[in-house]
Amino acid sequence: MASSSYLKPISSHRLSNPRSQPHFQSQQQLGFAHSQAFATRHLKLSKAAHDQDHFSAKRCSKDFTTRAFFFNKKPKSPPVSPKPTKVQELSVYEINERDRGSPAFLKLSQKPQNSLGDLVPFSNKLYSGDLQKRLGITCGLCVLIQHVPEKKGDRYEATYSFYFGDYGHISVQGAYLTYEDTCLAVTGGSGIFEGVYGQVKLRQLVFPIKLFYTFYLKGIADLPAELLGNAAVIPSPSVEPAPAAKATEPHGIIKNFTN
Amino acid sequence: MAYSSSALRSISSLKSSAARSHASAIVPTKPSLLSFKLAQNPCLLTKTTSSGNFSGTKRSFSCRSQASSTENSRPVQELSVYEINERDRGSPAYLRLSQKSVNSLGDLVPFSNKLYTGDLQKRVGITAGICVLIQNKPEKKGDRYEAIYSFYFGDYGHIAVQGSYLTYEDTYLAVTGGSGIFEGVYGQVKLQQLVFPFKLFYTFYLKGMTKDLPAELLGKAVEPSPAVEPSPAAKACEPHAVIVNYTD
Repeated sequence: MASSSYLKPISSHRLSNPRSQPHFQSQQQLGFAHSQAFATRHLKLSKAAHDQDHFSAKRCSKDFTTRAFFFNKKPKSPPVSPKPTKVQELSVYEINERDRGSPAFLKLSQKPQNSLGDLVPFSNKLYSGDLQKRLGITCGLCVLIQHVPEKKGDRYEATYSFYFGDYGHISVQGAYLTYEDTCLAVTGGSGIFEGVYGQVKLRQLVFPIKLFYTFYLKGIADLPAELLGNAAVIPSPSVEPAPAAKATEPHGIIKNFTN
Repeated sequence: MAYSSSALRSISSLKSSAARSHASAIVPTKPSLLSFKLAQNPCLLTKTTSSGNFSGTKRSFSCRSQASSTENSRPVQELSVYEINERDRGSPAYLRLSQKSVNSLGDLVPFSNKLYTGDLQKRVGITAGICVLIQNKPEKKGDRYEAIYSFYFGDYGHIAVQGSYLTYEDTYLAVTGGSGIFEGVYGQVKLQQLVFPFKLFYTFYLKGMTKDLPAELLGKAVEPSPAVEPSPAAKACEPHAVIVNYTD
């Protein structure tokens, strides 16, 4: 990591805040030196007043259960029978337990307010949708694109991966808006996810601590039961991983879960 | 001209100018109509000298021939868009983290520009992402970047791309995925610089889409040239000159 006299110190140390609701109002005025305490909070927004249950489905097509390509309607195209493409849904929880030094808010724009130029590498823990097993981690980079004052939040361009231990990983890219849910593109994967494509719906529960994802995956074989688990826990701000999963006890993890 | 050393001395974000090279490429003749299974897409690119003179060496440039796609019943869909930096988004933000006087590996350039339809009649959204400077090419008077960014099309969704951005010539980037109507998309996109670093013209060659592109994105593209400008209504984001919930 580059550091020089002109760069303000980059904070990446662990947080030690009590689990209180963050005070975001003062975020904007905080200088970088103070951002340690709030760096993670400021990363992803969360006005308590926000309706976390509202998901704007504008960008996510509702045709998630589509099982077949549409026929090509152009008369001059050669007639081809549609190939069914199975969509597999996979739900996971991403939780920041504040023990990975994440996120690292790099205020490289050197402006007091979040501006283009700020970069936020991050890495959080990944749990199955039923919150019974620790799967691995997320890790990647959020590039701050713009601050959106009227929404009291920010737009990021996020490029990151979800690691599922021995099963492999899924890479994603897309918009992360701290003030509303988004859909990101699934750009690829490895292991059992090799050749995967599709999209993933990101839903914030508690900014920036808890997020719930629903993957709509195509192009891969059936997912193992261990990853699909039981019915996903209904997303809400108060969800918590099962104690055994959090403690990474043998029955609360997948094999060689990424850490 | 050593744009690379002269253009950027300051570290703080630049509202205008030169994260990208001064060289601008002439848009080649339009590629011939694509057959359903994109085979060859030859196009001529003209490299310009750094002084902006449009005459330069011609170099034929053809994209790799596409193997016939057996898993997709739809033909390739072409989509053209203009990316224009109107210098009102604080972009680009040239982060000279290499701490060297010449553009060097270590410099990062987050950016975000406006996106218009190919016919320049409608504002569709924005581009957003990051360019990672890989190396300065003194003999080309330009730089190589690795670019990872997305094109946002309002309610339609977005397209994610990744690939090389050379400030001195046109390139192809990979379409890595998308959301909304672009969900499951793959293919490649041709990047043509018109005016470095303010105006770029893109031609997407999209496969894997489950629907046809909407008509309002497919208007006849304005012939790319350095002088192109969005229509005044599109630039002003008037209601008839934007797509629904265009990204801003």
